[in-house]
Amino acid sequence: MKLHEITLAVNGTRETLSVPAGMTLLELLREKLYLTGPKEGCGAGECGSCTVLLDGRPVTSCLVLAVETDGREVRTIEGEATDGQLSALQQAFIDAGAIQCGFCTPGMVMSARALLERNPHPSDDEIKEAIAGNLCRCTGYESIIAAVRLAAEGREK
Amino acid sequence: MSATKYVGQSVPREDAIPKVTGTAMFVHDMSLPGMLHAATVKSPHAAARIVSIAVEAARALRGVRAVLTGDDLDYRLGLYVQDKSILARERVRYQGEPVVAIAADTLEIARAACDLVEVEYEVQDPVLDPREAMEPGAPLVHPDLHTYSYMKGVFSPKPHTNIAHQQKIRKGNVEAGLAASEVVVQEHFYNPPAPHVPLETHAVIAHALPGEHMEIYTSAQSPYTVRNLLCHSFDLPHANVRVHVPYVGGGFGGKAGIQLEPLAYCLSKAAGGKPVKIVATREEEFGTLPSRQGLHTDIILGVTKDGKISALKVKYVWDAGAYADYGVNVGRAGAYAGAGPYNVPNCHIDSFVVYTNKVFGTAYRGFGHLEVMWGVERAMEIAACKLKMDPYEFRMLNVLRAGDRTITGETITPGHGRPDKCLEAVAQALDWGKKTTLSDPNKVRGKGIAALHKAPAMPTYTSCSAIIKLNEDGSADILISGVDMGQGTYTALRQIAADELKLQIERVHMTWECDTAFSPYDWQTVASRFTFMGGNAVIDASRDALRQIKQVAGMALRAAPEHIVCEDGAAYVDNHPDQRVPYEKFALGYTFENGNSVGGPIIGRGRYIAQGLTNLDLETGQGLPAQFWTYGAQGTEVEVDTRTGEIEIVDMITALDAGKVLNPVLAREQVIGGVVQGLGSTLFEGLRFDDEGHLLNGSFTDHKIPTAKDIPRHTQQIFIETPQPDGPYGARGIAEHPMISVPSAVANALYDALGIDFNTLPLTSERIYRAIHEERNDS
Amino acid sequence: MIGTFDYVRVGSIKEGCELLAARNGGAVALAGGTDLLVSIRNTGRSPDLLVDFKDVAQLNRLVTDNDAGAMIGACVPLNVIADNTVINDRFTALAAAARSVGSYQVRNRATLGGNIANASPAADTAPALLVLGASVNVTGKDGTRKIPIDKLFTGVKKTSLRAGEVITDISLPPVGSRARSAFLKKQRVKGHDLAIINMAVSYDPDAEALRVAIGSCAVTPILLPPVNLSENEPIDELAERLNDIAQAAISPIDDIRASAVYRLGLVPVLLSDLLSVLLAPEGGAR
Repeated sequence: MKLHEITLAVNGTRETLSVPAGMTLLELLREKLYLTGPKEGCGAGECGSCTVLLDGRPVTSCLVLAVETDGREVRTIEGEATDGQLSALQQAFIDAGAIQCGFCTPGMVMSARALLERNPHPSDDEIKEAIAGNLCRCTGYESIIAAVRLAAEGREK
Repeated sequence: MSATKYVGQSVPREDAIPKVTGTAMFVHDMSLPGMLHAATVKSPHAAARIVSIAVEAARALRGVRAVLTGDDLDYRLGLYVQDKSILARERVRYQGEPVVAIAADTLEIARAACDLVEVEYEVQDPVLDPREAMEPGAPLVHPDLHTYSYMKGVFSPKPHTNIAHQQKIRKGNVEAGLAASEVVVQEHFYNPPAPHVPLETHAVIAHALPGEHMEIYTSAQSPYTVRNLLCHSFDLPHANVRVHVPYVGGGFGGKAGIQLEPLAYCLSKAAGGKPVKIVATREEEFGTLPSRQGLHTDIILGVTKDGKISALKVKYVWDAGAYADYGVNVGRAGAYAGAGPYNVPNCHIDSFVVYTNKVFGTAYRGFGHLEVMWGVERAMEIAACKLKMDPYEFRMLNVLRAGDRTITGETITPGHGRPDKCLEAVAQALDWGKKTTLSDPNKVRGKGIAALHKAPAMPTYTSCSAIIKLNEDGSADILISGVDMGQGTYTALRQIAADELKLQIERVHMTWECDTAFSPYDWQTVASRFTFMGGNAVIDASRDALRQIKQVAGMALRAAPEHIVCEDGAAYVDNHPDQRVPYEKFALGYTFENGNSVGGPIIGRGRYIAQGLTNLDLETGQGLPAQFWTYGAQGTEVEVDTRTGEIEIVDMITALDAGKVLNPVLAREQVIGGVVQGLGSTLFEGLRFDDEGHLLNGSFTDHKIPTAKDIPRHTQQIFIETPQPDGPYGARGIAEHPMISVPSAVANALYDALGIDFNTLPLTSERIYRAIHEERNDS
Repeated sequence: MIGTFDYVRVGSIKEGCELLAARNGGAVALAGGTDLLVSIRNTGRSPDLLVDFKDVAQLNRLVTDNDAGAMIGACVPLNVIADNTVINDRFTALAAAARSVGSYQVRNRATLGGNIANASPAADTAPALLVLGASVNVTGKDGTRKIPIDKLFTGVKKTSLRAGEVITDISLPPVGSRARSAFLKKQRVKGHDLAIINMAVSYDPDAEALRVAIGSCAVTPILLPPVNLSENEPIDELAERLNDIAQAAISPIDDIRASAVYRLGLVPVLLSDLLSVLLAPEGGAR
């Protein structure tokens, strides 16, 4: 199978790899770079567990080809904490009790991260819209919405 | 006894940090050197005879390491009825049933090899409706049922029928009770089969090792049950099988037993001992792995002139699908809980669990109670309405109170909890009796209320154990093998241990991977019984450790152990609180100045076994099935668009008698999550099949679950705390309960809004639209 | 691995079209991939080659002009359209339709060209483009041509695109200064779902023009024939009249999302809600 050489930045680190055309960005992250934070919950762009930021915008990485990311910048949950310190958003997820089984959490945090970057003071409806593509079966979403709100409020201080 | 320091506080979960940083390791994320990946060929038919299977082309594909068919695997598995092969043999019993399994170097090769397999089927007429499946002459899903072994004394598969189990409950004289009734309600209700939809699909890695040993990594709720069933299936000593359960991405009952583990092991063995990983696709999670059973309910409810329930006669017909799995026990639990939390003097219940040619059923959060309460609480509503009684008052008049006897003969005591207080709290929060009117002529509001109850459905001998070991620094590790798959039990157990060990909570840790080689026995993480039984085991283990702590501290301080006081990880003699010895000084043993040493590493052991439970009499259902009952009530206000049938949940209130809330934030989270999962079952979830038994909505495109935009406008969680005498700090389980009466509360609110009775789930906007239009056309 | 295809990223439309032509059906144009890749995954049928057009500058343009209308490149992601101020103000139905596709993540990938090239009867942007009188610019080996949007959809997942042709732009004609449009969708869950029915209406009081298009109710999205607006006709009577036309024009089926009966029943509701939004500012009657 023909391989394509690509170079991309993942969580700020430059990576050059050879990948087959049929490999998804999710597979690249999980199987080549061992970044297993992004999860596969459906493989069809329906559940959002694989959400990462591609050039700052959240995408379902199961529906992005690895070859498409040549020259691009990818951020995953592994890049959210810096120097071992949780981000304010991560801390808000903990403080608001927004985590149960944790399988949806990495994708959920990335969707919320992108929202807060484009809209630092979202309304509840805007939060819901931003995470409606991230399915969660455990929490009923209320505490996740509260966590994003908490992170946004924390930013004001 | 001083107040607790941690129990009752909202201590954050220890697992939150690995989960929020993406470092928590699920089976999905794991791999072993040389690991193979597996895929299966699945039946396209609901019922067919397997004529031939050609696997030569698949076997010849480069990278294929093992190809198995049913004939290679002469094993019969089953929790309660041993009715299932690892791969279909001779016949397929549901669409999606695995027929051939292939392990290969990569998943792509395994899938490509599956495409090369040719299976010839002789298609047969499926039996799809469990009521038809009960009729004489119906095609048999299991013609050999009479030859299967099963758990005797508890279950009763009927030879040469499709009935996997019949549970009978007989109390009083139901015909006399009905004759004495002023109002008799007779109704049919239906719940469709419904999928669990954990975000993590089932995943397993099996490693067959020399000498008939195996190592299993699995996303399962019950490590010891996985081990036990594997040992029984393959006739292996328990010491040969080691089961690891790392973080689990949601279970909801679907991961309670064993599913993919035996197949992965057989593939690993066939591939010469290379580890084999199987991860269910989302479509397999919907259509191959088990779901909640469907249920047909026929209720006859008799009520006296003054509003007292006089008789209840119910026929429950559960749609087991192709295999019994947990389904027979769901039918059993549904029967003994089948009258709701009400005082019913005369009761006659027959609960049939019936095989059909559909994906099989298993445990699902609520274990039959959402389904049963759908019928019971709708029937109560209809009865109250016929009597022209307020449905809340009607429930308050009939709800179980101390001194009443349940339908299995259990006497309610003050320690049982208070369903009446739950109803009262919900009614108050909902502003019951006050109607909301809207200016929009196309919108109407309605309020509905429903009660609930559930006890753990578990064997009479269910047990749990815990080990606490003190570390060099005086901190403590807790080993237990119930699984925390997000419900938060480990946090509650940690709080209990910290209080009991008199140790700062930062120094108490749960061991997050369960491993049957190290973690002591626990039955299963199901039934909302882990906090109760695990809590009691952890208390027992902590007290054992504390006794050792006091003994060695006494030697160190030259005082009798009964004079030692422990506080914040240090010990002192009661009248000398200023001279403290921290735990780290003696956690592994205390050494005097001259070098003499006493004590030794401190290990606490604790255990708990169900108390006083009895099997139910097979003819009358009388006996004690419940370690404890958790009672509750739910109420809702809904807004209906009468033009489209769309509904909006304006308010959703849940009150549970939790006995004691061990962690308020976690308890609240658990309730909201359950409520929203219950709303899924209420509004749009459920598997649908065509006339030939093909699943029509086995994907996220076709089967929806609630999103962040589908939650109620407002929710409220109320906890009543009537201590459970034998519960840890008085606590009861509350994990499943928040789902249970969501559907009936919503339908009761719809009746209030529209004057229309809904007896079939889900309450899609289309169903409501059609009912409104039929009503208009009728009048 | 989602498929066994190879991949080429092209820098120009010409280069891409030549590749598509040379591969003679074995190559497929790739835009956002949110339909194409799912289809490859679900069917297991992989083309030989995916030709990625996303790097072509022309296909990423979104040009709006009050006089000239709008020109939207086929590879413009739906979120860019949904967030564009001019599209929101002047072509409101399209912004709303773009916003209702899939989830936020999907809309960062899914493109306008892809949404219509996929030709799902339930495509959310289709009714909006139909009432806005869009035309679709396509390029193939024989050059470029313009297809009026109402001539694009020919069946379920079928278009009048010829083999090897790709959509390059969607052009929206200028709208009058008082023209308005709106879009509504009914779905099973409020987040990330396909339409049970979707509908767009455009109205220009100065041109006395009112257009209605309905999706998910026939093998293609349906643009209703134009109606003559009569003076001072109350909204509910107009809605009723349009409903009669719509009921005759559509032919919905029963599927997993809803029955034909329900879809037919939702038509007057959507009509009434959309007309209220568009006409009510003028006092409830025109």
